[in-house]
Amino acid sequence: MKLLTANRLDDGRVIYWAEGGETTGVLREAARLDAVMAETALARARSRPDVFVNPYLVEAIDGVPSGRDRIKETIRATGPTVGNSLPHPASAGAR
Amino acid sequence: MYRYDEFDAALVRERVEEFRDQVARRASGALTEDQFKPLRLMNGVYLQLHAYMLRVAVPYGTMDSRQMRRLAHIARTYDKGYGHFTTRTNIQYNWPALTDLPAILEDLASVEMHAIQTSGNCIRNVTTDVFAGAADDEIEDPRPWCEILRQWSTIHPEFSFLPRKFKVAVIGGPNDRAAIRTHDVGLEIVGRDGNDTLFRVFVGGGQGRLPHIGKEIATDVRGTELLAYLTAILRAYNLLGRRDNIHKARIKILVESLGIEAFRAEVDRQFETLRDEDLRLPQAEVERIRAYFAPPAFETLDGSSGAFDRAVLADPDFARWNRNNVRRHRQPGYASAVISLKGLGEVPGDITDTQMEVVADLAERYSFDEVRAAYEQNLVLPHVKLDDLPSVWRALLAAGLATPNADLATDVIACPGLDYCSLANARSIPVAQALSKRLADLDYQERVGPVRINMSGCINACGHHHVGHIGVLGVDRKGEEYYQITVGGSPDEQAALGQIVGRSLPSEAVAPAIQRALDRYLEIREDGERFIDTVRRVGHEPFGEAIYEGLDAAV
Amino acid sequence: MRLFEHGEIGPQTRRLTASTPLDQVEAAASDGAPIMIEFEAFRDGRGFSLATILRERGFSGSLIATGDLLPDQARHLMRSGFDAVQLRPGDDPAAWRRMLEAFSVVYQPAFDAAVPAWTSRGKSLRRPSNAPPIDEGTTLGRRAAELNAALRDADPLTVLRTVLDPRQGLRVAALSSFGAEAAVLLDLLARAGPSTPVIFLETGQHFLQTLSYRTTLSKRLGLTDVRIVVPDAEERADLDPREDLWRTDPDACCDLRKVRPLARAAAGFDALITGRKRYQSGTRARLRVIEALDGKLRINPLANWSADRIATYRAERDLPGHPLADQGYASIGCWPCTRPIEDGEDSRAGRWSGVDKVECGIHLGRRRAAA
Repeated sequence: MKLLTANRLDDGRVIYWAEGGETTGVLREAARLDAVMAETALARARSRPDVFVNPYLVEAIDGVPSGRDRIKETIRATGPTVGNSLPHPASAGAR
Repeated sequence: MYRYDEFDAALVRERVEEFRDQVARRASGALTEDQFKPLRLMNGVYLQLHAYMLRVAVPYGTMDSRQMRRLAHIARTYDKGYGHFTTRTNIQYNWPALTDLPAILEDLASVEMHAIQTSGNCIRNVTTDVFAGAADDEIEDPRPWCEILRQWSTIHPEFSFLPRKFKVAVIGGPNDRAAIRTHDVGLEIVGRDGNDTLFRVFVGGGQGRLPHIGKEIATDVRGTELLAYLTAILRAYNLLGRRDNIHKARIKILVESLGIEAFRAEVDRQFETLRDEDLRLPQAEVERIRAYFAPPAFETLDGSSGAFDRAVLADPDFARWNRNNVRRHRQPGYASAVISLKGLGEVPGDITDTQMEVVADLAERYSFDEVRAAYEQNLVLPHVKLDDLPSVWRALLAAGLATPNADLATDVIACPGLDYCSLANARSIPVAQALSKRLADLDYQERVGPVRINMSGCINACGHHHVGHIGVLGVDRKGEEYYQITVGGSPDEQAALGQIVGRSLPSEAVAPAIQRALDRYLEIREDGERFIDTVRRVGHEPFGEAIYEGLDAAV
Repeated sequence: MRLFEHGEIGPQTRRLTASTPLDQVEAAASDGAPIMIEFEAFRDGRGFSLATILRERGFSGSLIATGDLLPDQARHLMRSGFDAVQLRPGDDPAAWRRMLEAFSVVYQPAFDAAVPAWTSRGKSLRRPSNAPPIDEGTTLGRRAAELNAALRDADPLTVLRTVLDPRQGLRVAALSSFGAEAAVLLDLLARAGPSTPVIFLETGQHFLQTLSYRTTLSKRLGLTDVRIVVPDAEERADLDPREDLWRTDPDACCDLRKVRPLARAAAGFDALITGRKRYQSGTRARLRVIEALDGKLRINPLANWSADRIATYRAERDLPGHPLADQGYASIGCWPCTRPIEDGEDSRAGRWSGVDKVECGIHLGRRRAAA
């Protein structure tokens, strides 16, 4: 199973492909895509460069990143694990 | 310090408008992301894991209070209330929106700042000794030359699309506090001939995946010919540097593959046909720029201070801060004070907006309105009267900025790593924080003395791990974060690359392993030896043994 | 630097890629034939060095850039010594022209006309940065006098570049009738700032030749902002319902069709560039390069130029003439009020011939025009 993710053009925030081609900033709302759906979604995301910057697919199990980049994808989804961004978690990953 | 005239001011404003135009074309689809990326990078704009990141240039690390306050304002208004000082003496913001960036750049322009060429395959922000103009071992203040280079390299028609980035550092004397031998070009002022400054030139240094120590290419280039000579170097590089492999595109690889003799011949050939009369700086312009860096109006003092002496005797905490964070000044009765951005368990290089305001106030009141950024990710008040040091310290203490650990084991250089950076393989900040907490005992740190511990989250080496006395490199091992340790690196005039001591360690093993290496040093050092002296005497093996002590079964 | 899309490449032009080794490029350039350098990737900046080196070593032939290039590289190309860029289908010439004009300051000597800041410093005609902007206490008259003192003997291009320099803080437009002598001013303006607004007063009574000349000349020179200003429809219906006011009251006609529309069109500008010259008529004999009028600066870059100098410049630059100029029209306005001149008459003698009128009023200021 795969998820499609990218950064949003105007503010750079992490976004995921959700059901119906919507975007969401929340990992658990990301559409879980089989191989065929994933390629379709990727093509559609690439055709919307005004929203999706560098769209790519992430391996996931039960909607949780599972591949080699799982740490990176987890940090992308939940924000920095340490530091001065933490007191303001609302704006880190919730959009 | 330098002040913009109408030419400089017009250029940064026109640059903002140019960028606004580029952002609009990206939004309209006239520019693809692939086309836009190099353009935004040349304005300091990255796209990182969570958001855009803006890297603001602090040319040769010098700022005044007005600029520092503007940096605080930007942190508050467009970011999350903090900024991050980098090993290139720049400041980064981690959360700006693309749509806010033209406004931020406009804010910067209003205080004579910009983000031009803080990234991209062009000539980057020039760095120098953080104690320039204050140190007592300086032949000449290098900053006028940095400013000349800043202007000459800005939007250079020939050198804005180089094979790879190009970094220049300048120092004003033989003691290298700017790591010039790890730069693409390092310039060392070696003397004067009449009115003209003489430069020793190193080329082909660099960190990253394939680190190299720079090689001497010229011993006495005259200041009047400096721009022509650099043009010849860059021209040879632009034409001959590799463009087929990003990891082999830096000038260090070209110099290595040709050999320094052949590269020098190539540069000389280019130099001969240059229109060097056009590149010869008018002496009036050199003097005009030098005048901006004239020493401030120091008082004539006798070099001792009752207030300072009493504070040292009365307050052991002040005495400790003074021992570790205060540096000798060329002017009697003055000192330079290091403001550590390495508080216990904090993020190396981070500073909040309110702390920036405090630093701005102190610079304005006590340091001739000047504050410097050091490549070690600290700040420096360059010109403080000894009489004023106790007041400065109390204000820093109240702001959480008086950690007395400059150049000690917890003064760790660390890149943002995988918590922010899209290039990283592993996190750096948590490892630096774990080390900071483990070595928190200041008596222990003082016993160990100066030691440079540097951490990078990937082979790009923004955390300078190759030239740390102890270096830590984050690597990805099948999706897990591991850390490779090096010993014996050095960034100074005896520049050296650290040696890898063995296999990489998991995150939680790093801080204890480093402490064992420091303990080993305490056991085997001879009188007066610093950590790096002992390493140079005995080699890295004893430290490697200490690092892996007791780990055989565990890893 | 010339931008073009197709054609225009002569058979003798040598085509090279930007990855061609320098010695081969130099060999190809040895006889001065035009060189075209193709950039295979915009990130690959070798072509900038190749062009710079060729120019430094004395190559004076045409250097044309083509290939994968961005508008944002236009100035790098021009400054490195390219004199033309062949755009690809789909490239936006407007963006290229905009980027060519993006900066007024340079820090390096190069192969365009721009003077590096370090040369300009100290002998600048520009206001020092600490001088108050125009709206902060300096009277317009004093500003005009200062600028006039600095620019009264300057060549027209310097005058234009100075007033168009953003550091002057002036919002500048040019005024042109697209008449017999307009090409010279407009060519100079295109060199100094092709995106400067050019106001054309469309009186509704121009010669058709003027209107087609306006189109061809604007395109040829690359002027990007020619603004056509028409009389207010209500006023026109009110004051000149039969379109013959010129017969009975030419002053009122000019007021309706020129003076009032210009006042509206110029409201947003601080300075207006005109093509007036001293030699044109008695009333213009004392014309200053910079003057203040009705709360705006008037910039007259050609004030000093003689008829001969104008003619020479037009020939040098091979500028297209107004179709009526060959027929003896030395100054061209609206068709009812313009006739050809005879030898020996001053050049504006053909305007409002037979009545006591030599100026339409747009250059006189409100009070005198109304009188």
